[in-house]
Amino acid sequence: MSSPEPVMRKIPIAKAMAEAIGQEMATDPSVLVMGEDIAKLGGVFGTTTGLLDRFGPERVRDTPISETAFIGAAVGLAASGMKPVVELMFVDFFGVCMDAIYNLAAKQCYFSGGQVTCPMVLMTSVGGGYGDAGQHSQCLYATFGHLPGMKVVIPSNAYDAKGLMLAAIRDPNPVIFMYHKALQGMGWLGTVKGSITDVPEDDYIVPIGKAKVVREGSDLTIVSLGAGVHQGLDAAKALAADGVKAEVIDLISIAPLDRETIRASVAKTGRLLVIDDDYLSYGIGAEVIASVCEDRALKLKAPPRRIAYPDIPVPFTPVMEHYVLPNAEKLLGEAKLIMETNA
Amino acid sequence: MTDILVQTGLWEDTDTAVIGSWLYSDGDVVQAGAVIAEIMVEKSSFELTAPASGILHIGAAEESEVAAGQVVGRIS
Repeated sequence: MSSPEPVMRKIPIAKAMAEAIGQEMATDPSVLVMGEDIAKLGGVFGTTTGLLDRFGPERVRDTPISETAFIGAAVGLAASGMKPVVELMFVDFFGVCMDAIYNLAAKQCYFSGGQVTCPMVLMTSVGGGYGDAGQHSQCLYATFGHLPGMKVVIPSNAYDAKGLMLAAIRDPNPVIFMYHKALQGMGWLGTVKGSITDVPEDDYIVPIGKAKVVREGSDLTIVSLGAGVHQGLDAAKALAADGVKAEVIDLISIAPLDRETIRASVAKTGRLLVIDDDYLSYGIGAEVIASVCEDRALKLKAPPRRIAYPDIPVPFTPVMEHYVLPNAEKLLGEAKLIMETNA
Repeated sequence: MTDILVQTGLWEDTDTAVIGSWLYSDGDVVQAGAVIAEIMVEKSSFELTAPASGILHIGAAEESEVAAGQVVGRIS
């Protein structure tokens, strides 16, 4: 028998988020958590499990069902020196609290000439695939990424989730921390295996604004984020069997977008495919592709392509929803077309 | 060799329990007390911890129905 491998501690994203928040609350008394069902229940997506028992109801607060009230309150708390972490249970609910987010939080630092910051984290679930219909399944990456003054991040695995959460809480400006339901580690939603990773118990940061090359290759660049990263990795594995070396980039950060890492990869491969599960038009794919096409130094071997959610509200029926959702198979088909386009 | 048993007495016998997910792969080294799997009962989840340190041998697949007290794997 070979020597035993080092012992890992594998946890899902939800646990990694809760651990990061707990660690920061233990060292920084100005950190507090608010949201619907985040205290007693520990968050419907498990993001705050155990925090109420450790820190008590003063710092871990269940709120009434009014995002307008508690997210507005968080902006005020942040202005007065606290570091609130608030949960918008589904990103789809942003409508009633968007004024507090993009007119107040995002602009606080700018409007005060840098004198008043807004160190708040808004964590929110994104994504569908489990038949929860058009008001509980959207991603809205581009909606938030489009508005200046906020950082917007989404982890694809538990290691990044913990480091990103610690970075987000310590950031002096508002950070929208999106997490994908298909990666949370909540059994009833199904969990993509690759998102459950070894997570150090120590304190560490995953810097906001840096993308990661999660698989190296020289023929094609696949760019994605969140759950799409795992579809990209699956497709890259299948492509390798055909002799195509695909590089996979995990954006991690929607805003700011790490254009350099994308361009450096496409400079090497000359081919680009973007996959995400937000609506297609004006989306992540459009922004990534534009960032590459704008670069005069880059020579492309094939027109860049994107796969995203079609511009329709999310259907309820699972059959219809899965028909329109991006997946590794669609990615693979598109990747093969790009490779055939070779001049 | 230590058997990994599904917890008993945490849910009604009439409820259906399934393995939600294994957090480790077959053959991984695990430490005693680490959460190694999640048991889903209706929409609640229960953590299954490693009864010993060693190499994990998964016996019951994800999504498969399990009963309280059932052996779902071993640690060697």
